[in-house]
Amino acid sequence: MSKVTPIANAAAGDNSTAAFDIDKVRADFPILSREVYGKPLVYLDSGASAQKPRVVIDAVREAYESYYSNVHRGAHYLSQRSTDAYEEARSIIARFINAPSDKNVVFTSSVTEAINLVAASWGRKFLKAGDEIVVSEMEHHANIVPWYMLCEELGTKLRVVPITDAGEFRIEDFEAALGPATKLVAITQVSNVLGTRVPIKRVTEIAHARAIPVLVDGAQGIVHQPVDVQDLDCDFYGFTGHKLYGPSGIGVLYAKSEILESMPPYQGGGDMIERVSFDKITYAPPPERFEAGTPPIVQAIGLGAAVRYVEGLGMDDIHAHEQGLLAYAEQRLSAVEGFTCHGTAADKAAIISFTVDGLHPFDVAAILDRQGVAVRVGQHCAEPLMDRLGIEGTVRASFALYNNRDDVDALAAAIEKAKGMLG
Amino acid sequence: MSALPELDRYEEFVGALELIDDEDLRFEYIIDIGKKADAAGFDEAWKTDANLMHGCMSKVWIVDRVEDGRHYFQGFSDAIIVKGLVTMMVQSFSGLTGDELEVLNEGHVRKLNLGALTTQRQVGMMAMLEHMKKLGRKGGNVTAGAA
Repeated sequence: MSKVTPIANAAAGDNSTAAFDIDKVRADFPILSREVYGKPLVYLDSGASAQKPRVVIDAVREAYESYYSNVHRGAHYLSQRSTDAYEEARSIIARFINAPSDKNVVFTSSVTEAINLVAASWGRKFLKAGDEIVVSEMEHHANIVPWYMLCEELGTKLRVVPITDAGEFRIEDFEAALGPATKLVAITQVSNVLGTRVPIKRVTEIAHARAIPVLVDGAQGIVHQPVDVQDLDCDFYGFTGHKLYGPSGIGVLYAKSEILESMPPYQGGGDMIERVSFDKITYAPPPERFEAGTPPIVQAIGLGAAVRYVEGLGMDDIHAHEQGLLAYAEQRLSAVEGFTCHGTAADKAAIISFTVDGLHPFDVAAILDRQGVAVRVGQHCAEPLMDRLGIEGTVRASFALYNNRDDVDALAAAIEKAKGMLG
Repeated sequence: MSALPELDRYEEFVGALELIDDEDLRFEYIIDIGKKADAAGFDEAWKTDANLMHGCMSKVWIVDRVEDGRHYFQGFSDAIIVKGLVTMMVQSFSGLTGDELEVLNEGHVRKLNLGALTTQRQVGMMAMLEHMKKLGRKGGNVTAGAA
């Protein structure tokens, strides 16, 4: 892989801009003021899971302290309050992604469950032996394994869109992967390893011209840029709460109304039925049809608070801040002797996967950790991508709305320290 | 179960780590062991899938040569820190019989007091120990004197 090209103008992404007061933003995240091993925490692992702003922590605490109960079933005040808050969270999320209605928003436990839901429900109903599912070479395992399992069960096949050496997704390669047997495109919006952005709107246009539905894994995408599911025209869009500054244990599946209506239940239990007898059961309409049992109530409420928080900052401003930071990081890190960035697509989110010549990624990450710099290391749940790149793993620094230039400088200094200790 | 004989090398590691009161320096001590392990020489021919420990985040190979019923381990990793850890483990517990290996437990890893290491790595060291015990039960995986 080529080294990153220094960017001449990395002025954007300074610690503060007129639109984005980074010091004020950082003060919203209590954990950022702590130290690790006696050093200030430099959290660059938000791609794995993001830290939580005070408003999310408060929303979760308030729910448990003042109005928690089960939802949709209690004939009492607290149950109504919890139900209202839970359904309000659904409305907030629907508005955030510009879903036509709250009914298009299904709460799941994670994006992994969202994809498994589609595979198990839609996949089993509409796919058959010989059909093909198109994925890209840079998918997270969560967008490979559920389809592989379905292929084993039904005899469907996976077709893989290759990426370039620079980690770019090329539309011509995508088109070449589509064939008469293609019945679904399941693709990431942003690579969790390379940061590469996939032009989803173009993907859906091409797929829909062939009547192929498109599922988007938005786990990384929704964090870094505004998402409008109607504009993207995707058929399914899944994302997870904990990467979007919300609690863990909550995810979202958006799907178009007619598709959700056509899907059989995924799991059976309470809350997803209309009538139950031992002879006949009728199911509730979406989204309840897909939310069997007591849902992650407070997690959903917390995610609603997180969405309000990022909306308050403005997704466009978050995007601009992170892109400026990425440019600065690319410039700063390319000056480190032996540094190689894996994934240099022209359009990429603020994720930098790297290796340092002669050093094992685990050793680098261990030294970074001792310097208070939290990163992820390994294959990042993307083993096929590592095989494609011909590497065993990388160190990944993933940036979030609360990161600043000081974090980049600390990362660069910690890499130099690792080189000194390990070299 | 047999009683353990004196574990001189192991006690040396325990003693050295006890003397180092700075966690960063402990880390450097392990890195240093890892770097020096290069000179000890781990035969390239031993780096096979069969000798690979599974479930590790970096590659770890351990071989067990049996001589007069005693197990002599050698270990290697592609990551320096892990190489330091596996070197400590194989040097600490070489020369024991299969029965003596069975006496080793989590307490022996804990006594090294590698506070600077993450829990994950301490779990990794436990896995190394279990792997060595497993090799011991199988009667080793390399022939005496052979590469």
